[in-house]
Amino acid sequence: MARYGMALDYKNCINCRACEVACKEENGVELGAEKHRIWVGSNNPDGEWPNLSLSSAVFLPSQCQHCEEAPCQEVCPTNATYYNDDGIVLVDSDKCILCTYCMNACPYDARYVDERTMTVDKCTFCSDTRLARGETTTACQATCPTKVRTFGDLDDPNSEISQLLENREHFSLKAHLGTKPKLFYLR
Amino acid sequence: MMQKEISRRRFLQGSVALSVIGGSALAETHLLPSGKEPLSRIPESITTKTSTKQAQEVPFLCGICVNKCAGFARVEDGIITKLDPNPYFPKSRNMLCARGNAGIQTTYDPDRLKYPLVRIGKRGDGKYKRVSWEEAYDAILNGTRLFKGLKEILDEEKDNRSTIAYCNGEGLSKEGFESLMGEKIGTVNYVDEVSICLETVLGGYFATIGTYGEADLGHADYLVIAGANRAEAIITPDTLDLFKRSEGRGLKTIVLDPRFTNTAAKADRWYAVNPGTDLAFVLALTHVVLTEELYDKTFVASHAVGFESYKTHILSNKYTPEWAEKITNIPAGEIVRTAREFMAAEHPIYYQGRRSVFSKNDFQLRRAMAIFQGLSGNLNKKGGIIYGEPLKLPEEEISAPIYSQAKDRFDHEGVAILSQRAGSWMVFRDMVVEKKSPYRVRAMFMRKHNPVDSVPDTAKTIRFLEGMDLNVIIDILPSDSAMFADVILPEASYLEKTSPVTSYGLLEPAIVQRKAAIKPLYETKVPEQIYKELATVLSKPLFDISKKYDKDLQNEIKNRGEQAVYKEDGYILSDFWDKDVSEKNKERMVKAFGEKAWKILEEKGVYYPHIEQYHTQLNPNEYRYYPENRKKYHVQTDALKLICDYKHLAAKGVDPMPTWKEEYTFSVPEGQFRLITGRHAQFTQSATTNNMMLRDLIPTNYLWVNQRVARNRGIKFGDMLEVKSRAGKVTIKAYPTEKIAPNQVFMAHGFGSMNPEMTMSYGNGANDAILLEDIHEPVYGAAVMNETNVEIRKV
Repeated sequence: MARYGMALDYKNCINCRACEVACKEENGVELGAEKHRIWVGSNNPDGEWPNLSLSSAVFLPSQCQHCEEAPCQEVCPTNATYYNDDGIVLVDSDKCILCTYCMNACPYDARYVDERTMTVDKCTFCSDTRLARGETTTACQATCPTKVRTFGDLDDPNSEISQLLENREHFSLKAHLGTKPKLFYLR
Repeated sequence: MMQKEISRRRFLQGSVALSVIGGSALAETHLLPSGKEPLSRIPESITTKTSTKQAQEVPFLCGICVNKCAGFARVEDGIITKLDPNPYFPKSRNMLCARGNAGIQTTYDPDRLKYPLVRIGKRGDGKYKRVSWEEAYDAILNGTRLFKGLKEILDEEKDNRSTIAYCNGEGLSKEGFESLMGEKIGTVNYVDEVSICLETVLGGYFATIGTYGEADLGHADYLVIAGANRAEAIITPDTLDLFKRSEGRGLKTIVLDPRFTNTAAKADRWYAVNPGTDLAFVLALTHVVLTEELYDKTFVASHAVGFESYKTHILSNKYTPEWAEKITNIPAGEIVRTAREFMAAEHPIYYQGRRSVFSKNDFQLRRAMAIFQGLSGNLNKKGGIIYGEPLKLPEEEISAPIYSQAKDRFDHEGVAILSQRAGSWMVFRDMVVEKKSPYRVRAMFMRKHNPVDSVPDTAKTIRFLEGMDLNVIIDILPSDSAMFADVILPEASYLEKTSPVTSYGLLEPAIVQRKAAIKPLYETKVPEQIYKELATVLSKPLFDISKKYDKDLQNEIKNRGEQAVYKEDGYILSDFWDKDVSEKNKERMVKAFGEKAWKILEEKGVYYPHIEQYHTQLNPNEYRYYPENRKKYHVQTDALKLICDYKHLAAKGVDPMPTWKEEYTFSVPEGQFRLITGRHAQFTQSATTNNMMLRDLIPTNYLWVNQRVARNRGIKFGDMLEVKSRAGKVTIKAYPTEKIAPNQVFMAHGFGSMNPEMTMSYGNGANDAILLEDIHEPVYGAAVMNETNVEIRKV
C-alpha cells in the first residue's frame, strides 16, 4: 500500500507534449485532439508586439490530480469512480453509465469520454500498465525531455517525491476547494 | 488557446477511417512463424495499450529527426507497443520527445510505401504498378516503354557517370548511399540537406575557432540564443540542459527571435530582432567589448589571429549600439547591457545554433558570433564551447573504380567555396533547369529526401525532376517528390532495421547501435540490402558501358585481363555490402573496443569505455554518464584558435572580416510581409506530417499574422488566406497573434502535401517551399529561407 502522488518541476516544461504522446502509446488512449489523459496548459503572452510579458507565458503540465477528497468520486452514482489501495482514483468502465456527473464535478477538467467504450476515461498513474509490471515511473515521467515529473509514494519519507516536497516550496492547483490534490507544483 | 479552437470533427473522421484501414491491413499480413527472427505484425488499433506480459526490449536509435536519441522498443508478439527512453546514452539523457514516442506510427502508417512500384502513367498523376524487386531493379537498368534506364542513358552520355545525380537526407544509412552512388557508380553530382540547412554555421565556426563544438549548457551561466528555438526545435542534449536551468536557476537566457517562440517564453529577456539583422547586433556587442576593453586579454594574446585589424575594423566602421539599434530593432542600452553582462559572466555562451540559413549574411554572422565567443575566452573549458574528443570507430574500406569519362561538378556559379562532398542544392538545380550545366544531368536518385517540399521554389524543383530521363526514389512514405519518380523502392522504417554503429558526442562521447525491433513490414527492405541488390544488378551492364568508352579501363584490361580488372578495381559494385550491417558492426566494434564492448552495445544499445563503472543513477530521472574528472571539458588541441581576420577568404571574394552591408538592411515594401519559417516541437519537416499521433498535436500549419494587422483587415482565426510571392502562392488558415511583428508573417515548414497517397497530410496546410524564392548566400550557395516577401489576402 502506497499513497502515490506526483511532483512537477513545472518551470522545466517547454510544452513539447512528449508526455501526452507517451501516455497515449503506453495506455492505448484513443486518438483525437481532445482525447487525452494529460495535457499542457498554455496561454499567449500579455501585451503587444514587441512588448510582451514573458512571465505571462507559462506552460503548466497537468493531468488528474488524484485528489484525496475527489469530487468525481463523490458524485458518481454507480461507484464506477473509486480509490484503489494506493490512493489512485480510477474508473471501473463496467460500472460507468456515462452520466458525466464526474466530468462536471472535476475542477481540473481531467476527464473525457472514450468513444470506443463510451465510458469516462482519465489518468491512471499507469497503474494497470507500468506499475502493474513493477516499474516505478509513469510513462509521462520517464519520457520527459526536461524531467518535469517525479512520481512516488508520499507515505515513504525516503522517496524522492517526499524529499522534494520537504526541501522545496510547492503549491497545488485550486487548493481552496479542499480536494486535497496529489499533484504538487514545485516553485 | 489555439488547440481548443480547432474542430474535433476532422480527427474523429480520421480515426474512424483509419481504424477500418488498420483492420483490413491486418487481414492481409502474413504472420511469420516464431523462431529466431523477430516477428512483425500490424496492430489492430492505432494505439496499443502495453500489457503486463513479458516483452522484448530492443535497443533502438530514434530516426524521426537528426538527433538520434536512444530508446528501447517494447515488442509484444511482434508488435511494437511502446518506445521508452534509454538511460545509457549521454546525448539523449534518458528521454524521448513527442515525435520520438510517435515513431511507432511511422512504422504502422497505413500510407507507407509497401511494395516496389514502377510508373505506368504520366509523371505526377500517381499511376503506378506494383512489381517485384527484380522487376524494379530491371526498370532502373533497362527502363520501360515510358522511361529510359541507366544503361541507355550512360551509353548515350559515353559513360559520363556524372549524368546521374543523387540526393540523400540526413540519417545513418546515408553514407552507404554515398558509397553506392558516389564511389561505386561514380557520379560527383551529390546534393544533400546541408546546403538547405546549416552549412554556413558549420563553415563559419570551423573557419573561426576550428570547431563547431558543443555548448556546455549544463554549466554555462549566461546564454545568448539567437534564431535557435531550442524549445521547439529540440537538439539533444542542449534542450535538456538549457530548460532545467533557465528562469532564474543558474543560466541567464537572452533570446533573439523575430517571433515570440516557446524559447522566448522561457527567457529572461526577449529581443524581437528584425529578420536577417543579427549580424549588426553581434558587431555592436563586439564594439562595446572592444571600446570598454572587456575581453579576455590573455586568451586573445595567445590564440587570436588578426585581432588588431579586427579591432580597427569594428571601431572604424562605427558599429556602435546606436548604429545597431536602427538596424536591429533592439535598443542601444540593451545591447550595451548584454555585452557587459556577457563578459562579466564566468561561463558565457553565444549559442552557435544549428538551423537553415535565414539571410545572405549568415556565414559572416557565424564568424562574428564565433569571434565574440572567443573574446570571452570561454572556449575549450567547462561551461563554454567544448572541443572534446569523440570515440573513433575504424573506417570502412571501399574499393572504388576510377571512371575517366566522369566529368566534374559544376554547381559553383556565384559560389565562393563549393563543398566538395555535397554541393549546393539550389545552384545545382537551377543550373540544370536553366540549361547552364556543361553536360546533361539525366537521372536523379533520391533517398530519404523530399526536395519538392524542402528546397525553396517548389515549381523549379518540379521542373528539375520533370527534366530527368529517370527518377528513382527510395523512401518510407509517398512524399511529394515520390510523385515524380519512375521507380519507387520501399524502405524499412528505422524500427525495422539494424543500422551502422555510430559515434556521438565530444564532451561525453558514446557509441550507439540501432537494432531492428521487428522485421520489415510488407515487402520493404533495409537500405543496405537495397544498395547491395541494386549494385548486383547494375555491376556487369555498367562495366560493359565503361569498357566501350573508358580508354584507361581498356588499357588496364589489355594489361591485366578483364576478369582481374573487374574484380580487383571495384567494378563489382556490390562487394562493399558482402557483409551485412550486423556483421560489420560487430567487426568494427570488436576491432576498436573488444568483445566485451560489443556485448554491452548489443544489450544496452550504448557503449563507452568504463560504462559499467561510470554509469550511475542519480535520481529517478537522471543519470551520471561520466565522472566529472573524465568529461572532456578541456583537451589538448591544435584546433583551438581565434581567426579574427581570415585573409584567405578575401582571395575567394568573401569579406575576410564580418562586415555589415547596406543591402542587409531589413525592409519590407508597403502592403507586403516578410515570410519567416520555422518549426514546432511536434513534427519533423514534411517527414512526420502524415503521422497520426502527431497530427493530434499539430493538425496543420497556420499563418501567423499580427493581431492588429489582422483586425484591420478583418482576418479572424481560421479564416483562409491566400499568400503570394514571386515564386508561387498557397492558401492557409490565419492565426492572428501578437507573437509576430506587423510587417512579418510566419508559417511552419513541412505541411501542405500534394500527394493524395498521404491521406493524413494531403492538402493540409501550406508548403512554404512553394513561396520561398530561389535565393542563396554567396559563400556555399546555401539556400536562404527568410528573404522572401509575400502579399496576403483573405479568400
